[in-house]
Amino acid sequence: MKKFINNIKRYYKYAIYSAKADLKAEVAGSYLNWLWWILDPLCFMLIYMFIAEVVFKSKVAYFPVFVFVGLTAWDYFNKNVTASVKIVNNNRAIVSKIYIPKYILILQKSFVLLFKMFISWILVVILMILFRVPISLNILWFIPIMVTLYLITFGACTILMHFGIFIEDLANIIQIVLKLTFYLTGIFYQISRIPKPYSTILLRLNPIAFIIDSFRKILIYQTHPSYLFLGIWFILGIILTSVGIAIIHKYENSYAKVI
Amino acid sequence: MEKEAAITVKGLHITYRGIKKFSIKKSFFKLKKGQRETFEAVRGISFEVEKGKILGIIGKNGSGKTTTLRALAGIFSPDKGEINLHGNSISLLSIGVGFQPKLTGKENIYLSGMLLGFSEEEIKKKEKEIIEFAEIGEFINRPVKTYSSGMYSKLAFAITAILETDIMLIDEVLSVGDVKFKEKSYNKMKELISDDNRTVVIVSHSLGTLRELCDEVLWLHNGQIKMIGKPDEVLKEYEDFMTK
Repeated sequence: MKKFINNIKRYYKYAIYSAKADLKAEVAGSYLNWLWWILDPLCFMLIYMFIAEVVFKSKVAYFPVFVFVGLTAWDYFNKNVTASVKIVNNNRAIVSKIYIPKYILILQKSFVLLFKMFISWILVVILMILFRVPISLNILWFIPIMVTLYLITFGACTILMHFGIFIEDLANIIQIVLKLTFYLTGIFYQISRIPKPYSTILLRLNPIAFIIDSFRKILIYQTHPSYLFLGIWFILGIILTSVGIAIIHKYENSYAKVI
Repeated sequence: MEKEAAITVKGLHITYRGIKKFSIKKSFFKLKKGQRETFEAVRGISFEVEKGKILGIIGKNGSGKTTTLRALAGIFSPDKGEINLHGNSISLLSIGVGFQPKLTGKENIYLSGMLLGFSEEEIKKKEKEIIEFAEIGEFINRPVKTYSSGMYSKLAFAITAILETDIMLIDEVLSVGDVKFKEKSYNKMKELISDDNRTVVIVSHSLGTLRELCDEVLWLHNGQIKMIGKPDEVLKEYEDFMTK
């Protein structure tokens, strides 16, 4: 634990600088690139709106906001997890030349994605204003839910990073699992449309479904999230993160031998 | 003056074993369990480098030189034995410390510097010196991917040479760039080395360089120390051995 804090202290500036540099590099490629940070979720929102409203004829209040909230949280989780499986390999140039605590790589990636998510949240706010979604004080729950999302994502990433080094085709498996999770998370439909026992189970066992549902509750429906489950997932997030960090501390020195 | 050790290595063993990559697809098709491959790259070497001294490491390809250097840099931990750096900061000077090809040279200076544990302000102070030394001129503001391989290594050398750490590990970089830069980096090396506080470990195949720069030479053979001592003696033996 102490080692973790020291490492974070020593390297967080690097992580921030490097994250900024990554974002800059993306923009430097072409001047339109930053537009994709907005266009990408926007286009997916339109696709899902088409599928849900035209094909399945579902009626959900404030549907664009509903989808966008789901996509914002999902994208963050999805991109972090996908990146973390291959992250050590992709940073081979650094890892094989210098010692760096390996979770700093995840931290750096998460900063990049947090920034992109931030843009996405701004779009949510704009949409909320456009569609005149009423708001309440419950919106303050936004922060604890975000923290929980961050912890769960970070924890999952550290553990997957470890196994991603030793198992070559883990990335393929994770892709399939993520696809399945995507459909079981209710990004473009209300998860309560699934028959009764299953929808509750999903909402309780799938942390992303729970988090997205909580975001929607506070942003669209002016209610508060389930305190109990938010607390449970928060603690589970901390446990996941600690386990992941412990594993990395124990094995990170052999990573450079494998890649 | 009291002799102070900067690096102490005791019975260092490094093995590449069992931790081979594993693929679920492959293990489906190959039900027989593959044999665990063990390869001992470094087998029990011990040495000590005094503060301010220069140690050269020679040996044929695959004798464990780079592995030793990487272990010193902390990239892998020893499987057996110990490495004590006595609290000195260390950097491995090797071609291109993880440059980001899409970023400019200048941004990469900061990234590499921060990876080596320097703060932004410290790097800022040295930035000009690095750019001057690397002599890549206008290119410093262009993405690293547009650099020629010579410029790339020049910049890498300049970063580690100017951002000084207590211990420098050098892996075959004295042959960087064109003739002029080679001479310049060679002189810079000498200057860095003449600093009494800096300890240097050089891996090289160039006998001339080692003879001139080092205080002591370590000859590795198949992961073990074949000889350690004064450069002239060791290098002579080595030459005889290699031409045999």
